[in-house]
Amino acid sequence: MERSRAAVAGFFIVAGLWGCGYNDLQGLDEDTKAAWSEVVNQYQRRADLIPNLVATVKGYAAHEKDTLEGVVQARAQATGIQITPELLKDPAAFEQFQKAQAGLTSALGRLIAIAENYPNLKADQNFRDLQGQLEGTENRIAVARKRYIDRVAEYNKMVRYFPTNLTAKFMLHLDERPNFTVADEKAVAKPPEVKF
Amino acid sequence: MRPRGTGRLARCCYLAALTLTLASTLSALDVPSLAGRIVDLARVLPANEADSLSAALKAHEEKTGNQVAVLILPSLEGESLEEYSHRVATTWRLGKKGTDNGVLLLIAVKERKLRIEVGYGLEGALTDLRSAHIIRNEIVPRFRSGDMPGGVRAGVEAILKTIEGTYQAQDHPTIPTGTGLDTSAVHAVFIGIVVGFLAGIVLSQGLRRTRALFGSLLAYLVAQSASIPLGIVAAGITAVLLWLVLWANRGSRSGSAYDDWTWYSSRSGGWSGGSSDSGFSGGGGDFGGGGASGNW
Repeated sequence: MERSRAAVAGFFIVAGLWGCGYNDLQGLDEDTKAAWSEVVNQYQRRADLIPNLVATVKGYAAHEKDTLEGVVQARAQATGIQITPELLKDPAAFEQFQKAQAGLTSALGRLIAIAENYPNLKADQNFRDLQGQLEGTENRIAVARKRYIDRVAEYNKMVRYFPTNLTAKFMLHLDERPNFTVADEKAVAKPPEVKF
Repeated sequence: MRPRGTGRLARCCYLAALTLTLASTLSALDVPSLAGRIVDLARVLPANEADSLSAALKAHEEKTGNQVAVLILPSLEGESLEEYSHRVATTWRLGKKGTDNGVLLLIAVKERKLRIEVGYGLEGALTDLRSAHIIRNEIVPRFRSGDMPGGVRAGVEAILKTIEGTYQAQDHPTIPTGTGLDTSAVHAVFIGIVVGFLAGIVLSQGLRRTRALFGSLLAYLVAQSASIPLGIVAAGITAVLLWLVLWANRGSRSGSAYDDWTWYSSRSGGWSGGSSDSGFSGGGGDFGGGGASGNW
């Protein structure tokens, strides 16, 4: 008798957790983290391409100091931000990360734009290859960001909907996460203009 | 007076909703159905050329498992090349699930733009750089001189050569229908057992009241023993029913692809040209934006 009552209680707990989204929340939490890793990964890939690109441009247009230094500085700023799990939860830190990456995007845009004025640079095989890789990376960043935006939207919905919001708040202590904003999306996702 | 007002209001709402729906359907360029490995909606390839390319792609898939498809569009209709290309590739799900070994070559004739979209699993072999080289050295010069079929063929051949040897085709191809069902079946059985157990408990409670009425030891024993098989039977039936419901849902979802196709083909007098092999479908591969774009 006692034993069967315990079994019933056990089943109710399992069924109850099912209903209030415990597993779904945990799964989405993990999904957003994985999507975020991909975003960081692609931004890192872009940062890794920059030293080579700057060196190549320097070979043809060394006197374009301002633009070259602008890229180097923006890169230092973007890579200087410590990527911690807290970054995902803190809107201010997230905003800062976004701003730094957007700054790097526009600095790179200027660099590619001045390349238009140097026919020898434009014809350089190495430069064209780097440009192709940069373009590909910008596209990957756009895809990774889009996936992250979708995941976070799904996750935030679960955190706000009833009754899963109760599970999120009182049991798992999960909060809404900041997401990439649309205005910013346009600025960052737009790859630098490249003409072959 | 009043009902007429409501009627007019309802009609207005209906019209507004209809307009909105139409506007939203027409604004975004739909992903065409995957009619074959070569989907030539702009009709730039002669039929025999499309057939022989398609056969080459098929042979390549049989040998290596890589799924390569070509889509030639008359126009992007204002869509961004990269976004649309990624949408097509992820909708078609080229490549095998897990290895993600698919490649899409997308050509937009009016915009004079093209892109090679590379699945996650082939990014190591067909890098952005290699894709850019194929576009720049193999395809674009031929397109510029007006030889579209030659450019497509040279591009496809270069892609196949690059990705050859990355993967080996499986000797026994996995049956794709089995994989998606596993988790839902497990869920169904688990929920079935929970529900069946509870049903068994409730039924046994009923029998315990009978015991209270008759006050006999025999009824009590029947109730105790009956609860177990009842629970099992209930669990089994619930599990089967749930499984059937989940299975039916799955079927209706795949039906929507057919609706897309009929809408698409009715759109501009049938955009069905160039389907050279039937029975081709994506294997569940994923794309992360790898590849390169170009124009001519």
